[in-house]
Amino acid sequence: MLEPADTTGDPPPGRLAERQAELVAALVAGGPAPPGFASAPLAATRTALLRKRAGDVARHWPLLAAGLGADWSATFAGWAAQRPTAGSLRDGWDLARTLRERDALPPAGAEELATREARLRYGGVEAPRPRRLPAVARAGGAVAVQIAGRVRLLRPARRPVATPPAPGGDGVPDAARSATWISD
Amino acid sequence: MTGPAGVGIGWRSEIAGFVAELPGLRFVEVVAESVSATGPLPPGLAQLRERAVTVVPHGVRLSLGGAEPVDPARVAHLAAVAQRVDAPLVSEHIAFVRAGGLEAGHLLPLPRSREAVDAVCANVARAQAELPVPIALEPIAALVDWPDDELDEADFLTEILDRSGALLLLDVANVYANARNRGTDPLALLDRLPLDRVAYAHVAGGAEHGGFYHDTHTDRVPPAVLDLVGALCARQRPPALLLERDGSYPPAAELRAELDALATASGFPAVT
Repeated sequence: MLEPADTTGDPPPGRLAERQAELVAALVAGGPAPPGFASAPLAATRTALLRKRAGDVARHWPLLAAGLGADWSATFAGWAAQRPTAGSLRDGWDLARTLRERDALPPAGAEELATREARLRYGGVEAPRPRRLPAVARAGGAVAVQIAGRVRLLRPARRPVATPPAPGGDGVPDAARSATWISD
Repeated sequence: MTGPAGVGIGWRSEIAGFVAELPGLRFVEVVAESVSATGPLPPGLAQLRERAVTVVPHGVRLSLGGAEPVDPARVAHLAAVAQRVDAPLVSEHIAFVRAGGLEAGHLLPLPRSREAVDAVCANVARAQAELPVPIALEPIAALVDWPDDELDEADFLTEILDRSGALLLLDVANVYANARNRGTDPLALLDRLPLDRVAYAHVAGGAEHGGFYHDTHTDRVPPAVLDLVGALCARQRPPALLLERDGSYPPAAELRAELDALATASGFPAVT
């Protein structure tokens, strides 16, 4: 396939573009090591990139990361090692959905996922976008609703240790954390 | 609009309260991609501007070292942020962060080749054409080296600075990390860099993992890096030194001690 003509007047790009693409693919997408690179520094760079990425995703998904606690770094690295980033918001979202399928989502992460899914429409391919219509989202027993852009966690996620229901309750405990409405 | 001066700190929302209460602070840096080009400034940053603290936007996603032309929208954003904070200059890295449609997620090194010098200088020129202020370029810390370097680090950097006319943002911790991981002498590199071109310097902490020293920005600044700050200042003290911390934020007393150690090593007044 022909490349579009270079209109900037710069010298032709040589092989730099191709070689940079090979290096990035080797580091984040499971591609083969480019010829001539030492393996130990490549492996250390891979690990460093995953650690940095885990920190970035944890900032976007603090409850998911906190819910996994000491397992966060290893869980993220195991999921992300051969998956190039789609941005921190989507990386965390995709990981949370994978954990939901495996029934391995921690309760705080389930509530974070349900809250996000009630507010934003995300098909897994394009960037998440605000929902125009009211929505209900569920993850790990957590139920979040969104009306006119405001999101409320109606039901908290299942916790491993059951808490006794409040006397006189209507069977739908209002999680203390959900008392406030969350706006964008 | 005064240039960076004295001891500064990288402004991050997580430590905005701490930074706001530093009485002697005259200079911060903000990650350019974290500031909206059109919306309101983060509250803590707006207060610093009211106090006439110098704010330098620091880009991390331009990919100036990419073989492809730099994305005009990213340059426009950096230019807009520079105007919003009335910055005297902006800074970015001699690195690439994406290629072949994939994001690396962090700064990757260039081959020290003439082709890479050409690519960086072309992109810096494209950026300079749109930026309202000068740009300072920062050499990165890298664990990996390309197999076929044509230039050494000092010649590679000097060539880029000479041809682009850019200023130098010298990261002392990166100099330390690169030298330590390669068994080379960091002072020998300092002796060959154009220190009169340094707009300001970065200092950060790191830690050893798996046989490599990593420039983590989440650990304390090691004594050896402070020693290197002293050695740099003995040769030519930069106008300003900035502490970068990007996570695992310590208690305020520890962060103050890190800033004080920078002041001591450089002879600048304490900002705490």
